[in-house]
This record gives sequence, C-alpha cells and structure tokens, in this order.
Amino acid sequence: MQTTLPNPASGYDRAAELQRVRRERLQTALIDLSVTLITILVALLIGFLVLLIVGKNPVVAFQALLTGPLSRINRTGRWLEDATTLIILGLSVAIPFKARQFSLGAEGQLYVGALVSTVIAIYVPLPPVLAILVPIACGMAAGFLLGLIPGAMKAYLNANEIVSTLMINAIIIRAYDYILTYILTAPGSQTVTSADVQVFSQLARWSDMLNLSLGRFNIGIVFALLLVAGVWLLLSRTPFGYEVRMIGSNEKFARYGGIDTKKVIMLSFAIGGAIAAVAGSHLALGVHRRLIPGISFGLAFEGIVVALLARNNPLLIPITGLFYSYLRVGGEIMETQASVGSEIVQVIQAVIILLITAQVLADWIKRRRARRVA
Amino acid sequence: MEEAFRVIFSAAFVAAVLRVSTPIVLPALGGLIAERAGVTNIALEGLMLIAACTGVLVSAYTKNAWLGLIAGVLLATLFSLLLAFFYLQLKADLILAAIALNILASGGTIFIVYLLINDKGSTASLVSGQMPFIDIPIIKDIPILGPILSGQNLLTYVMLIATGLVSVFLYHTRTGTHLRAVGENPDAARSVGINVKLQQYLALGLSGIFAGLGGIYLSMGYVKFFARDMTAGRGFIALAAVYLGAKQPVGTLIAGLAFGAADALSIQLGNLQVPTQIVQMIPYIATLVALVVYALVQRQRAVNRQRKFRQQQAASV
Amino acid sequence: MAESLIEMRNITKIYPNGVRADNDVTFEVRKGEIHALVGENGAGKSTLMKILYGLERPSAGQIVLRGQPVTINTPQEAIALGIGMVHQNFMLVPSFTIAENIVLGTEPVKGGLIDRKTAGDRVRQLASHYGLAIDPDAVVDAVPVGMRQRVEILKALYRGADVLILDEPTAVLTPQETAELFAAIKQLVIDGKTVIFISHKLREVMQISDRVSVMRDAKMVGTIDTKDASEHLLARMMVGREVFLQIAKPPAQRGKVMLQVRDLEYVSEAGVDILKRISFNVYAGEILGIAGVEGNGQTELVEVLTGLRPSIGGKITLDGEDITNHSPRETRQAGIAHIPEDRLTNGAAVTASISDNLIVDRYAKEPYTKGGLLKLSAIKQLSDQLIEQYAIRTPDGSVDAGALSGGNMQKVVVARELSSNPKLLIAAQPTRGVDIGATEFMYEQLVKERNAGIAILLVSADLAEVMSLSDRLAVMKDGQLTAIFPSAKGLTEEEVGAYMLGLKQQTQLEIEKNW
Repeated sequence: MQTTLPNPASGYDRAAELQRVRRERLQTALIDLSVTLITILVALLIGFLVLLIVGKNPVVAFQALLTGPLSRINRTGRWLEDATTLIILGLSVAIPFKARQFSLGAEGQLYVGALVSTVIAIYVPLPPVLAILVPIACGMAAGFLLGLIPGAMKAYLNANEIVSTLMINAIIIRAYDYILTYILTAPGSQTVTSADVQVFSQLARWSDMLNLSLGRFNIGIVFALLLVAGVWLLLSRTPFGYEVRMIGSNEKFARYGGIDTKKVIMLSFAIGGAIAAVAGSHLALGVHRRLIPGISFGLAFEGIVVALLARNNPLLIPITGLFYSYLRVGGEIMETQASVGSEIVQVIQAVIILLITAQVLADWIKRRRARRVA
Repeated sequence: MEEAFRVIFSAAFVAAVLRVSTPIVLPALGGLIAERAGVTNIALEGLMLIAACTGVLVSAYTKNAWLGLIAGVLLATLFSLLLAFFYLQLKADLILAAIALNILASGGTIFIVYLLINDKGSTASLVSGQMPFIDIPIIKDIPILGPILSGQNLLTYVMLIATGLVSVFLYHTRTGTHLRAVGENPDAARSVGINVKLQQYLALGLSGIFAGLGGIYLSMGYVKFFARDMTAGRGFIALAAVYLGAKQPVGTLIAGLAFGAADALSIQLGNLQVPTQIVQMIPYIATLVALVVYALVQRQRAVNRQRKFRQQQAASV
Repeated sequence: MAESLIEMRNITKIYPNGVRADNDVTFEVRKGEIHALVGENGAGKSTLMKILYGLERPSAGQIVLRGQPVTINTPQEAIALGIGMVHQNFMLVPSFTIAENIVLGTEPVKGGLIDRKTAGDRVRQLASHYGLAIDPDAVVDAVPVGMRQRVEILKALYRGADVLILDEPTAVLTPQETAELFAAIKQLVIDGKTVIFISHKLREVMQISDRVSVMRDAKMVGTIDTKDASEHLLARMMVGREVFLQIAKPPAQRGKVMLQVRDLEYVSEAGVDILKRISFNVYAGEILGIAGVEGNGQTELVEVLTGLRPSIGGKITLDGEDITNHSPRETRQAGIAHIPEDRLTNGAAVTASISDNLIVDRYAKEPYTKGGLLKLSAIKQLSDQLIEQYAIRTPDGSVDAGALSGGNMQKVVVARELSSNPKLLIAAQPTRGVDIGATEFMYEQLVKERNAGIAILLVSADLAEVMSLSDRLAVMKDGQLTAIFPSAKGLTEEEVGAYMLGLKQQTQLEIEKNW
C-alpha cells in the first residue's frame, strides 16, 4: 500500500539494472515463444489422438498434413496463395485489437473490398498498373467506410462492437450475394459468377512469370508484405499508432493525456476495414479473377487466429500467417491422401485459440520460472 | 403488392413464422440467460451445430429420436460448460474462446459426418429421427387459429412455454434473481455470499441447453437431416434478438418472431420474384438501428435530465 | 472492563505482489462499543477489515470471536458469525428495488418463488425498528446516496449482524445525512450492536466513538479511549510527526490573473447538480488551495477545468484565452498541466513504456514527431533527461511503467506535467497514498514551480497540507465555494473546518472581494 521514494543517493546501479531488465525481456520473449510452440504441439497432439481414436492411421495423415504443402510445387503455390490472404487479414484485425476493440467485421469488409475492386476492374478501362491500383484503392476506401460504421457506433454511442460488426457482416454478405446474383451474373448464365476482370487488372501469377507451376499464387504477396511494413510503421512509428497503443494500454490515461480517444477508436475500425478489403481484392483480382459466391468462406475469423498467434505484432504476422495456412493446405492434402476430413485442422485451430487465450498457461510457466529463480 | 399482403395475412404464413422462429428464439433464450449473468455467449452458433449433428447421428444409430434429443442437448451443454471453464477457470478471453468453439463445432461436425458416412454435405443418406408434431384437440378445429396453433413441432411449443419459464426463472426465483445480480454488479452479489462463478457456470450451462434445443429443432424437426453449417448464422441472429428484445424474455421472443417473420417472408416473396437476400437483411438492419436508437435514447435521457435541471433553476431565479 | 468481542491477533497480510498491507497487527473490539479505526490512506485499515469480513485471508495471525478462535474464509462465514460490513463503494444492484437488495441472497420463498410481500414487510419492519427511513419499493438507482447507505446498513442487520463494520461511511454524506447516520449508529449500540467505524476524519471520530485505534504504515500504533484523545494527538499518531509540515517558502510574488473561472456550472449525467456557479481566480506565482471534504465537487471541478467533462454554464479563461469546454488536448495546449487525483488509473499506462508515458501530452509535436513519424531519438533524449532530472529509478525509458514502484510512477507523472512548461498546474490530492518522502518531494516541486511564477491550483482534502502550502485558500462545500481567504496565514484548522462542514459561510461580497 505504501509507496516508497527511493533515495537517489542510495547507490542505484543503473548499468546492472539495465542488464537485469534485458535479461528479463529475453526471458519473457522466450516464454511467449515456448507457450506458443507448446500450444501448437499440444493442439497437433490432440488432432493426432483424435485420428487414433476414430481409427484412422494418424501417421499417414500427419505425414500428409505436415509435409504436404512442400511435397509438390503446385501445393506450395496453394500454400503461399492462401497465406497471402491470411497475412492481410491478420494485419487488418491487429489494428482494432491493438486498441482493444473486438471488431469482428473483417468478413464483411473483405466482401465489400472484393465487390468494389472487381466491379471497377471489370467495367472501368484503365491503363496497366493503374488498372490494379485504382480498383484496390477503391476497395480500400469502401472497406474504410464500412469500418467507420461500427467504429463510430462504438466510439460515440458505446454500442457493442461485437453485435454491430456481426450484424454488418450478415447484411453485407447478403448484399454481396444479391448484387452478384442479380446484377453481375450475365442473364441466362448457368452458374452464379461475375465476368472475368480485365487482363490489366489481374494480379500477375508467379507461375506465368517464373515458369513454375505455382498455381494461383500471385503478386498479391508483394502487397501483403508492403502492408506488413506499413502496419508496423503505422503502429510503432506514427502518432496515430502511439494513440492506438495508449488506448489499448489505458483508455482513461489516453484521454487524460489529450488523445481524441473516440476518433482514434473509430479510425482503428476503419483502417482495419481498409486492409481487410485488400484481402478481398486479392481473392477477386488475384486468386479467382472474378467474383464467386461466398468468396471468403469464413476466412476472416481465421485472420483473428493469425493475429492472435502473433500477439498483434505486425512483424510476426507473416510467420503466423504462413504457419497457419500451411496447416490449412496440409489439411486439404491430408484429405485427399488419407481420406481424413480436412476439418480436423479446424479442430486443431480451435484448440490453439483456446490454449493461447488461456492466460493461466503462460502464468503457470512464469510462476514456475520465478520459483526456480527464487 | 396485393399478393404480398395476402401472403402475410394468411394463417399459413403465421404458422410458418412460428416454424422459422423456433431455431432463433430457443437459442436466443439461452443467449439471454447468459447475457443477464454478464457472460455474452457468442458460441450459440457452434453449440447449435453440435446438438444438431449429435441428435441426427444418435437418433440414426439408435433408431430413437428421444435419445438423439438427449444426447444432442447434453453435448451442447457440456461444450457450453467447457467454454465457461476456459473463461472462468483458465481466464481465457470469453469472445475468443467462443470463436474457437464455433470453429471447433463447424469443423468437428463435418469431420465426424465425413468419417461416418463419407459425405461432407449432409446426412441425407441416413434415416434419422424427428421430434413429433402435435395436433391439439379442439384447438385444431378452430378456423384460422387451428392451423397456426395446432400441428406445430413439439419444440415450437417448448419455445413458447420456455419463454414464460425463463421469465419466471429470471424474475421470480432466487437463482434467477442471483443470476441477474451477478450480471449487474458481481461485487454486490459476492458481498452477500452469492457464488459468482457458479452462477455464470449455471448461466452458460442453461444457455447450452437452449442452444442445444434450437439445434435439435433444426435437424430433427424443421428438416430430418444434418447439413454442414446448417445453422447459417442463426446463433448470431439469436444474439441480435436478445439485444433487440432489450434483454427481456418476452422482448426476446418478439424480436425472434420478427426475425422469423422476415425470414418466412423472404421465402414467400421469393416465389413472387422478390430477392430473398433483401428481405433477409431486414432483421440485421433492424438490430443495427435498434443498437443506435438505444444508445441515442440513453444519451438523450442524460441530456434531458441536465436540461430539466437548468430549466428548474432558471424558473427559480 | 467490558468483555472483548473480537480479537485479531498478530495479523499480517502480504499480497502476492509483495506489498505488506498489515504487519503484525493486533486489534481488539469490545461488545457494545463504537470503535473507530483511523489511519491515512494505505495504512492498512481497510485490509484489516477485509480480513475480518472474509474478503481477504491473512498471511499470518489469528482471529478470536467471543473467546473462540475462528477462521473466516468468505463473507458468508463472516455473516454467519454475525459480522456485517458496509463498504465504501456500495454493493448494491442498481436496477433492483431496495427490498430486493436487502434480502438478496436470503430471499424468503413461497412455493418455490420469491415471496416479495413477505420480503417487503420484513424490510419495512426492520427499517422502522432501527429508525432508518427507506422506501422498500424504490429502485436503488433512483434514490439518494444517504438512503443507499441506510440500505447497506439494513442489509447487514437483515442478515443478523451483531458487529457492523462501516468503511468511511461519511465520505459521501452531507452534514444532515451524517447527523442522521450518527443517530442511527447510537441507536444500534443501544440495541446491543457493536460498530467498527473506519475513518480518517478525526472530528467525526472524536464525536462518535468510544475508543480509537490508530494505524500507520501497516502497523497498529495504539488504541486509546476517545475521552483521553484529542484530534491533535490522533493526528500525530496517524502521521508519526507533527501535522503541520514546516514548508519553507518565500512570500508569493503574485503576478497577473492566469486562470479566471466565472459562474462555472456542472450537472452530472444523472441530473445531479454538482458545481453551482463557481467563480475564482488563480494568479501567476501563487498557490490557490481548495480545501473541502471529499465529494463536494472537487473532482468534477478539476475535470471540467481540464476538459475531461463538459460544463453546462460559465466561463473558463486561461491567460486571457477562453478555454471553456475545450478538449483535454486544447486545454493542455493552452498551458494547463494536471497531476490527477487517481494517478495509477488516469495518470499512467502501466503496460506502456516509461517513455510512452512521458510523451502523452506532446508526442504529436516537434521534435517528437517530424514528417508524420515519431522521432525516437528525440523521445529517448527527453525520457533520459527526465529520468535523470527527477531521479526516476529505472535503467532506462524502455521499461514498462508498471515495473516501477508507486513513488517512481508518481515521479513519472510529475516529471511529465512539470516539464510541459505550464502556465497553470492543477494538482489534485497530490500526496494521497504516498509516504512522507514522496510527500516532501511533491511539496518541494509545487513550491519551486510557484516561485518560478507558475499559477498553481491545489485541491486537497488534507486540511493540514492545503493550509500550509497555499498562499490563498478557498473552501468548497456542496459544489460551491463557501469562503476564499486572501491569505492562508494565521488561519486555524477549526476556522477552516467550520467552513468545510458548512457551519459558516462567507457572504457573496466577501468571496467576490477575494476572487
């Protein structure tokens, strides 16, 4: 209860303290890393046991799961293509999460990004390069505006963002479906799909450029990596990022210090929305080169896992994104090779989230360490 | 237009609303109980899937619909308690843990169905049980009311009765009162010896039962099979119904019925060349608007109180 | 010698974070007495009572109740033993009625359902028996604070409490309500109840209690009969030194009007009238102290001045510039620095680095931001310099603020606010919860800034502090300034206390003269 004021003259060894702090920091990082690794191992082990229990051969299945994405070059391409989307989605989620806002709106923002960028890429004739940049920028603007809605509702009206973002997702998904079915699909067409986007608007595929059969893996990865750098810069090197971090740390303090917390909270939703829209553009312009029904297939929730595994650190998101899509693609390969449903990967994913968010695990390791040190 | 009105004011339509609302209102009652205990349950969707899948599989293999019901509801409850365990004991984030549970349910149900019958789409190839449809004597012969109130699925009647029971439970029993106290001021509840964690376990457990009933209705009442992700967002609509219904049992029922009506309407109007997507958006838009209106009303009240004070002061000077 | 009802023997409480809240404390309460437990914030009295009520478990020590050793692990066990507690922040469910709140947890049941009629009758009967006026059917949210407190007392009595622990019960009450409360307490004692009265208001303690126990620095200093005590003696026991710190300060070099406040009004969102047409000036180079019992609008006054709450009327001018209802950032830019009352929840972000904590008021300005990017070298230079200048005990600014001791965290706040070169410094309860060393540091800083020509508004509930630091002194009571003294010199505590308690009030003319 009592606070003590240290006497400056009482021989405070700053250099030694600095060493101690650095040591502790390293330890904390190692603990975080080991918790993550243990979690992944435990989750894989649980998946292994499930297969064993249901009478499948887990060794065959896991071999396919864990080596599949690297076993053939086209599978590697599939992995990297999927990772591109997940990395972008992870980044989009990390921004509102960093401000402690539970925006679950990435799904709807992805659809809006896909829709807006594709419509422009189909119907507006543009010169090369601009034919890619303009649709993506417009998609981002749409995602930004869509993010503003739950952002403003949360910041200025204190409306529950989980409910509002889920509602907006449901509305947008239906709007997307409607527009695709009734407006973009050619009359008399057998399947529900838009026209292909113009050639200049297609994100170039590495398979065409490198003469490797990397499937639909495309230059979208460059955008993803630029966004990694951009989001890192935004969060750690700009005044806005500082504001987001302070709000996430202590909102009252941020307000007291003069930060316009409402505006920043609202913008954190909107910027996340703009980035999620890029994921939609990547799917539409790069992967499918047109709009198809249900283009996201619930990917946005997987983006949450990617951000969570990376602890909202943009520099770690490429790693966790690559890891996570490796599992997803491995699961698909496992299904064809070992006739085990790829959905086991979702089970593994769920276990990972549960264990990572279970604060007790990390605390337990820290306590054990502390005891050993003592 | 005239055609549309004829559809809406027909007994068949009202009966359809009750049918379509059942898998929204049942989980919504579960969501309501959890919400009132201060634990928002966004895992309703996953819990429904678990029950729907379990019910079909158990009833198909045991040839007993009731065993299917019991197993489905039980498993949904156990998973809801698992969510409670992660939140209350392991200090996991409630929202993220619930998202994990939804992913687990979506993937796990497909995985098991695929494993058992080598089909990822649905269990249509299995012969599974169904909850009985009940003809009520006398009432069934009343014109207009008869076709609405009679001949519904057992679980539709359960929904109507449960709304009343939940209301009595929350407002007239000790446990329900304690549960609300925990949701509103956990410290106050704790200070008079109410076990906060226990109440929240109970709330999430009850929430699992209702979500389970909703799931069972989907696969063993509404239709007679399980299909992948067949809940199609109903768990989230249920949560919306809780908010739109001002976190009251009857309000939740009405909101759920309204959502059901929009859904039923979209099916009916689909026959009339009105796109279903547009009609299906209505409940979500309504919830969004309700969230805004609710917040604005709260704010306006505060402003009014301040203004009233000023007027009084001006009058006295 | 009356019989001893409760004995807490050699109680020690160490929290997991290593803080020692109670250190070998022995405390004895006799049956039928009103026993005051006094001490500064953080002296350990609340923790001691939480242990008695089963909210905390002691690390060592023993509790003996009516001659029997007992362990009390939960509030239920305390209630079962006849111990009830009225918490400082009320433990009530806002949307429930008063009757529902009183019977919560032990509701009478008929046929499986709650029997509201019986509950209401019992509550009414209980209330009239003890002369505590309440309306059982009113919703708690809609009744005044004084009634809420009576509800809390009835809650404990309803559960059969013989011993009532009242945690700072008068902090939120008006004088009338306090008088009513005291009458009720006396009635309780006549009825055979025992009351433990936690407070740091010595006047009240002298007025109501039979015996007083004083705590300081987690230790029990001693217990004396109230008739042998005086406020002065108790104060010395509490603080461990003479109350009036001798603060060396040269005469004020009073400059121009820096802050001018006129007819400032604030009504809370609940519609309660908090600030009633407050007017005063603060001049450059002086410390204007605002004394007053906590909860008379001081917190709101500071928050309105700093832009954290909107006023509904009146005008605030800083150095000639109208800053009424400006945002926190705008008021900071205009030249207001603010050492907040609750430094850990408002003044710092414990999961952010010390550097981040030091720049919250200036991160967007040059040289800390250049060309839209944060300039880390400039930020590091600032934080190194402030760490050095204020002797903040940390290896460097990259360490999380949460890793600092309370006193060092305090210094981070002070370093930031003072280094912003303010025109006006607002210090709210600057020495609450800090030890003597930190208190002296704070006093030195305030006087230094004042001597440098800065206007200082000091808001403090510590009468001794505000009297010895201030050049001019204002007293706040019920959202109004009831007095402004042109000089704090020569005033006595009794005199100022009379204004704080509303026994005396200057005329409007007298106040205006001293704006």
